[in-house]
Amino acid sequence: MGEAIVVTSGKGGVGKTTSSANIGTALALLGKKVCLVDTDIGLRNLDVVMGLENRIIFDIVDVATGNCRVEQALIKDKRFEHLFLLAAAQTKDKLALSVDSMQMIVRKLKSQFDYIIIDCPAGIEHGFRVAITGADQAIVVTTPEQAAVRDADRVIGLLEAEKLPPAKLIINRIRPHMVKNGDMLDIDDIIGILSIDLLGIVPDDELVIKGANQGEPIVVKPDSKASLAYRNIARRILGDAVPLLSLQEEDGFFKRMRKLIGLR
Amino acid sequence: MTKSAKSISSIGSRELVTIKGIRSGLLFVLADDALFADVVEELKQKLTGSHQHLLSGATVNVYIECGMRELSSEEQEILREVFATHENLVLDGFDGPPPMREMGVKAPYVFKGTLRSGQLIEHDGDVIVIGDVNPGAQIIASGDIFVMGHLRGSAHAGAAGDVRAVVAAAYFEPLQVRIAQVVRRSPEAYDRPAEMEFAYLEGEQMAVEKMAVFTYHRQRRNRSRAVI
Repeated sequence: MGEAIVVTSGKGGVGKTTSSANIGTALALLGKKVCLVDTDIGLRNLDVVMGLENRIIFDIVDVATGNCRVEQALIKDKRFEHLFLLAAAQTKDKLALSVDSMQMIVRKLKSQFDYIIIDCPAGIEHGFRVAITGADQAIVVTTPEQAAVRDADRVIGLLEAEKLPPAKLIINRIRPHMVKNGDMLDIDDIIGILSIDLLGIVPDDELVIKGANQGEPIVVKPDSKASLAYRNIARRILGDAVPLLSLQEEDGFFKRMRKLIGLR
Repeated sequence: MTKSAKSISSIGSRELVTIKGIRSGLLFVLADDALFADVVEELKQKLTGSHQHLLSGATVNVYIECGMRELSSEEQEILREVFATHENLVLDGFDGPPPMREMGVKAPYVFKGTLRSGQLIEHDGDVIVIGDVNPGAQIIASGDIFVMGHLRGSAHAGAAGDVRAVVAAAYFEPLQVRIAQVVRRSPEAYDRPAEMEFAYLEGEQMAVEKMAVFTYHRQRRNRSRAVI
């Protein structure tokens, strides 16, 4: 029996889809059988970020309405044997997917995969309710901005009310020099407000945008810090104790990583 | 049982001043069928003589009940002078024990955990939060609000119009505080959270003080009410 993890944030544009794509790909890299599920009906993106847009034949609404079986709608990734995508419908709206049909789909996927990563739409309305139903765990993505932290807090409250285990936090798009100058919220401040466990921090990295535009998740490129950050997050999901990524600039960074590895 | 108790009190010399311990302090019951001068004489005796050891020490609120007797302003002044000799006895008023709310009869609502954005606590009585109140969260209470953590959201104490209500927090950095009808918003930025503070109304103005003076504040306010 697999585990369903929903990736949510409340606010739009903080990196839910990017995080879903990269965490899913990283878990696949680590040998797990993974299915990515896009629940953002009408505004689907996950297929674009994964570079699988042209392969969609059936989508999640087709499965929900009985147009096809789940297996027919799964799109195999072009890079990894064990990675699949269940795409959202682009021509329908959020109401086309109900809580009941989502639960049924997630249950079926859990019998076939190790991890199901559910990409949640922005907002806290119907689409959000549908996306979190059937999930065993939740990951909340935020960025070091007041508005994003505020929305993350709201979402954590809603998840608590749904009796899900405490959500895990990803702080995305950190700019070390801005944090250092005090121009950006500091990681400790954010955890102080949200008071949930930190799953990982991801530095702001231009390569992430480049990768998303090329349909290549950043984790497949080992030479970027964001890539390392997502790999670490995947390892923490599997239960490994991985130290937090150092945000120091280049020269101290490798020295520090070596030191940490040497210690363990 | 009742009968024997009655007979004992009637045998002994009748007490003109009875002192009762109540939740919010001491209640002095003055007999209303004796001469006022006799009552004052006995009161003085009890305060300085027989009960001195009981009536010294920590500061307590004192309430006076005098049954059918209507106290003239001179008589009130005499009583005030008598109590003025004891610094720890704070005379509250001449109209009996305090109303129910002050005696804490309404149960407070206790919330344990983080009150998050979009969540609301509304309660008729005091509200106590063991945890943080985040920005975007709201507490509305007809009584006082106490937060044993960071208060970063909005708090409305005395929502039914009680101007004596307070908002207190271990880390006081609310977005907005309301007491009765008075609204005050936060400064543009907190340098660092004020620790152990509470907000109260001083007339139409809201004031913030260190928690250390909370008890003193409550008593002072009770006294000022008594003078009115």
